[in-house]
Amino acid sequence: MIARRNSGERLLRMALPKGSLYAESVALLERAGYDTTGLADPGRQLTLRAGDMEFIIGKPTDIPVYVAYGAVDVAIAGKDTLVESALDVVEMADLRFGACRFVVAEPEDAERSVAEIYRHLGVIRVATKYPRVTEQHFARRGLQVELVKLSGNIELAPLIGLADQVVDITATGRTLKENHLRIVDDVLESTARFVANPVSLKTNSDRVTGLASALAAAAATD
Amino acid sequence: MQPLQSMAPVTPRGFRDVLFEEAREREAVERAMSAVFALWGYDPVETPVVEEAATLQIGIPGEIERSAFRLFDLDGSLLALRPELTVPIARLTASRLAGMPGPHRVRYATEVFREQASLRGQARQFTQVGVEFIGARGPAADTEVLLLLIEALSAAGLESFTVGLGTAEVLRALLDRAGGTDEWRQAMIAAAQDRNLVEIDRLSAREDLHPDLAFAFRELPNIRGGREALERCQALALACECRDSVCSVAETWRTLEALGHGDRIQVDFGIMRSLDYYTGLQIEAYAPGLGLPLAGGGRYDRLLSAFGDPAPAAGFALGLERVMIALAEQGRTPRLESLDAVLGGRMPAEVFAAAARLRGAGWRVRLATGRTGTALVREADDFSALEALVVEGDTIRRVDRHGEAAIPLGDPVPEPPRLTWAAKGGDAR
Repeated sequence: MIARRNSGERLLRMALPKGSLYAESVALLERAGYDTTGLADPGRQLTLRAGDMEFIIGKPTDIPVYVAYGAVDVAIAGKDTLVESALDVVEMADLRFGACRFVVAEPEDAERSVAEIYRHLGVIRVATKYPRVTEQHFARRGLQVELVKLSGNIELAPLIGLADQVVDITATGRTLKENHLRIVDDVLESTARFVANPVSLKTNSDRVTGLASALAAAAATD
Repeated sequence: MQPLQSMAPVTPRGFRDVLFEEAREREAVERAMSAVFALWGYDPVETPVVEEAATLQIGIPGEIERSAFRLFDLDGSLLALRPELTVPIARLTASRLAGMPGPHRVRYATEVFREQASLRGQARQFTQVGVEFIGARGPAADTEVLLLLIEALSAAGLESFTVGLGTAEVLRALLDRAGGTDEWRQAMIAAAQDRNLVEIDRLSAREDLHPDLAFAFRELPNIRGGREALERCQALALACECRDSVCSVAETWRTLEALGHGDRIQVDFGIMRSLDYYTGLQIEAYAPGLGLPLAGGGRYDRLLSAFGDPAPAAGFALGLERVMIALAEQGRTPRLESLDAVLGGRMPAEVFAAAARLRGAGWRVRLATGRTGTALVREADDFSALEALVVEGDTIRRVDRHGEAAIPLGDPVPEPPRLTWAAKGGDAR
């Protein structure tokens, strides 16, 4: 599949993730000197023009798809969603905000240690929203796991006996703690990244690289 | 007799039928590009749809090899549907063409297959049109391959496109100068291929790395453009004592510029398709507004030695589906009439004889034996024929909108109407 866009279009199209990265993305664009009129409070609008840019406001996990298939030229996306999507995008700059990490966690009061489970049953059951990241992590550790993909409330899985461990994202570790889970391993550090479609980088080179360096500079002076 | 079990008429995910209008347009574009290759003396080859999986494993690294469509035959051999043509043609060259005088210039236009996960909206079968130039190296050979690509895209009807010209040699030379652990080297290659500039930046911060090299690793993927891009890269390479690595791409670019293609060609040191596979030249082609390359290729001087017949080689493959999308986006899809006339008449023998005379004069004719009058006009409309004709005895007459047989076509049969239009300055196709 490939996005079909009018080739006469002169606007650079940029996707911004809804949710936790949104406010800081807009603030960074503003600091970098871009026109962000209307972005701070877009209401229900999903597309918005400001200056010579067209902004698309999308669900974070869909943003790598927009970029890889060429529906947008550039975007801000969390490293976590990039890794999980495993799509072909150019990662141009680390914007440093939105830091969080993927961790492996298990119940604080687990009766049997995971090591013991592994010794006797030969497999660990892991629940996660991020199957690809999780699979890669355990493959690197050489551990055999049974993965179950859930859509939310991952911390519930060990409590109801569905999984021995979870792989989830945490910024402060509070949600995990409140659910009596402790972190046992680090998987991946994530921050917001500026990404570009590989072909947009070639055909619209000056504007894409200009935006990348402006955002990287603004992120560095924060 | 048992009734046949019924089932929903569907194609497997990622496969599709191509019908009339689209099929005609694809055929026209594919032929236009193949005709360019033929004019350059490239000969067509056909390879089997399946290859031994081991053949692909030797030839293609990583991603493409992993995405091959695999199957077992009754002997238990592991086979794969060809995911591309370069490796099958290298195998063919090393076996069937061994000992024959080279260099070999071959072309192809055929289906390839790639396994794709569901719900990504990706096709599992598509058509590649391409060339391989085997047994020649150096800037002249590279230039020939690039010219073929430019001419093929122009012949397809594309108005607006760019060809990116890169090289694997600068990165390879920098890596050799940089030393470091094998792990570091592999990580740098992976980051360059994934175009992960954040990771390249991190890896370039290695403590014992010379500052000139660190700077070069960070800069290289961002260098693209014309003469000034070449000069920037030459300056980097000079500082890192690997100036020779830029020579070939510089000469190729200068030749293409002298031939007047300076605005079509962009030197781009960020193109890094696969370092295991490509040695030297790397090619991509882009259309504005299309988020994936139209074509990819390069020089792969080491591939043929994997099949025991070392020879330098270069080539590219165009994705026909992507070219068709780019044409549609630029409003350049070929305008094709499929049919000049439907031919009716009461006597089958007269109709067949008249049709032979029409075809001899270049008419595309669809037979409607037994039909005359308004039924014939309706059939002409249904199949978008330019004329409705009817034969009585040995006279072919035009049929008007009311189904009345009117003016005789004349003897000998004149040229079909499309040729007349072309003569008037209309679309010859």
